[in-house]
Amino acid sequence: MNEILWLVRKTLRSTFRKKSSWLVFIGLPLIGVLVSMLLYGSFNGQPLRVGIVNADGDQALTQDAIQFIQGLDQVKITLMDDETLRSDIAAGKLDTGIRFGAGFGESLGAGRPADVQVLSVKGASVTAYVKAMLNDYLGNVASIAQSVQGDKAAFDRLYEAYRQSSFKVSAETLEDTSHVKDMTYQSLGFLIAFMMFSSVNLTELILKEKENRTFLRLLSSPVSARTYVLSNVLVNLFVIVIQIVATLFFMKNVFHIDSGIPTGELITVLLLFGLAAISLSLLIVAFAKTTASAGALSNLIVTPTCLLAGCYFPMDIMPDAVKRISNFLPQHWLLDTVNKLQHGEAFGSLYLNLAILLAFAAAFALIAIYRFGRNNDTRLFV
Amino acid sequence: MSNVLEIRNLTKKFGDFIAVDNMSLAVREGEIFGFLGANGAGKSTTINMISSLLRSTKGEIDLLGKNIAKNAKFAKSNIGVVPQDLAIYEDMTAYENVSFFAGLYGLRGEQLKERTVEALEFVGLGDKHKAYPKNFSGGMKRRLNIACAIAHRPKLIIMDEPTVGIDPQSRNYILNSVRKLNDMGCTIIYTSHYMEEVEEICTRIAIVDHGKIIAEGTKEQLKAIITDTKDIWIGIKSEDEIKVESLKQIPGVATVRIEDQMVMINSKAEVNNLNQIIQQLIRDRAEIRSVEEQAPNLETVFLTLTGRNLRD
Repeated sequence: MNEILWLVRKTLRSTFRKKSSWLVFIGLPLIGVLVSMLLYGSFNGQPLRVGIVNADGDQALTQDAIQFIQGLDQVKITLMDDETLRSDIAAGKLDTGIRFGAGFGESLGAGRPADVQVLSVKGASVTAYVKAMLNDYLGNVASIAQSVQGDKAAFDRLYEAYRQSSFKVSAETLEDTSHVKDMTYQSLGFLIAFMMFSSVNLTELILKEKENRTFLRLLSSPVSARTYVLSNVLVNLFVIVIQIVATLFFMKNVFHIDSGIPTGELITVLLLFGLAAISLSLLIVAFAKTTASAGALSNLIVTPTCLLAGCYFPMDIMPDAVKRISNFLPQHWLLDTVNKLQHGEAFGSLYLNLAILLAFAAAFALIAIYRFGRNNDTRLFV
Repeated sequence: MSNVLEIRNLTKKFGDFIAVDNMSLAVREGEIFGFLGANGAGKSTTINMISSLLRSTKGEIDLLGKNIAKNAKFAKSNIGVVPQDLAIYEDMTAYENVSFFAGLYGLRGEQLKERTVEALEFVGLGDKHKAYPKNFSGGMKRRLNIACAIAHRPKLIIMDEPTVGIDPQSRNYILNSVRKLNDMGCTIIYTSHYMEEVEEICTRIAIVDHGKIIAEGTKEQLKAIITDTKDIWIGIKSEDEIKVESLKQIPGVATVRIEDQMVMINSKAEVNNLNQIIQQLIRDRAEIRSVEEQAPNLETVFLTLTGRNLRD
């Protein structure tokens, strides 16, 4: 045990003596969280930006309609001309535009409101709210006009009463947690990729020791190859724990992203995946003869599998064939577990996912051990 | 004197290739034991098996009376290996390097500090303990390589080509260090391509060829094997004119080598052929500058026994 701790201490000291290691092992996962925030952070319930063109001049009913829109919750209006409206919508400065044509107020007062143009490039999901509220309002005013049958005094009286009515339509914004889930998913996706890369980096130290010939010196001391590899696995585990804890801490306390999963459960799942990542990196190192070939092999394995498993993009946008392939990747099972936990499934009910992650770790480790065991070259063997 | 190391019928096969072939050998306490052999002779494989880096196919190795296969930890604790290739961390200071490797042998605390400083002082790097090896000369790196192997005070030190590619000053320093370590009670196995080094410091020598020990003994005993030969060294102005095959036709001539404007001929001692050799060289239009007849040295012994140069 003393030998293992001695080796772990040395590896950690010489690794984290380099400033670049802090960036690679701790900084990059945090940058991943930051990138996720930038990607998904814009969906945070900003008010609807509405541009209004009033071609009807000072008509009271038109002015009242504009005021009605202004009074809606989560809506910010700007009065402008036709040209500005079109250019601002095209430039994305406005979410939607409304145009009241000449004679609109008069037609409304007559009970037959002329069409109101509602413009948008973002589609019905953006215009629906304003459209529905405006239709409702204009419908009520038109009904008053129709009921008085041209009696202006009666219209003014009833219309004033309607305006002064105590009941008022109000809009409440419900918190949209979908973007927080997306952010968590993506942050963890990046964390997975960085965990895998840093694990390969640390396991590559075995090959680096071989290239530097220090490996043979280590093995000629009372340290056995098994002890040495075990110390490397412990260093890997330590770094992965730090990565997980740092990422989750920053997500929760600095970036205020609530994953919606109890921290303990999330750490457990990530650690299980960490074991699979370490085993995979041992497998890569067992088959590679040099650090260069290990680096190439890890790029060939880690990047595409992370891509296929949905670490960089949401899985929903992937074609079905890719979704089926991702079933054979440990990253998929971690993200699937996270997804299910976010949707309220109990940790205990996800035993199949957890068992699959553990099986990946065991399978990779066994193949690596088999491969190491067949090395009979003093320059290569572990 | 008791045996520190005893090898019995040691064999190592890599597939069909036999790297070490039924080798038996004993190294006595207090010896500097020279291990001579050309590249591929089986030296490194034997050393790797002694250091427990390789398992033997057959045979046994005892260190201090204990079988190393059954007592690997004991054996490793009592051996210090100075590998041919530098095995030090460039990103750790000289002190950290020695301290780390000594720590692998269980040294801790004050004892570790004392032994680390002692090892660095021993190789003359005491004042460089905070420096990084990347700033060292080749000789200094070699000395650090030695310090890493001796801090735990092993009973047996294996030095594999410890003076390769260094300046004469560092080489002398290392050879003196080997002698000092030996005076302090360490038994040393020393391999080198430099025959004069082996001749200078080793008390007993084994010559290895094709995985077998073909001769073993003190340098005097080895030279005595070939008392029936003599070395004739002839200095010449240019090597271009010399016809080696013509020289080999002369009665008594065994081997002919040409190196650095010197024709080195090994010949049977009882044949008086010096005149014929000189006449042949004159016929080849060689300009002779010196003629010297020498008693055989270790190099000649090696060449005679193995039929090849040590540096082949």
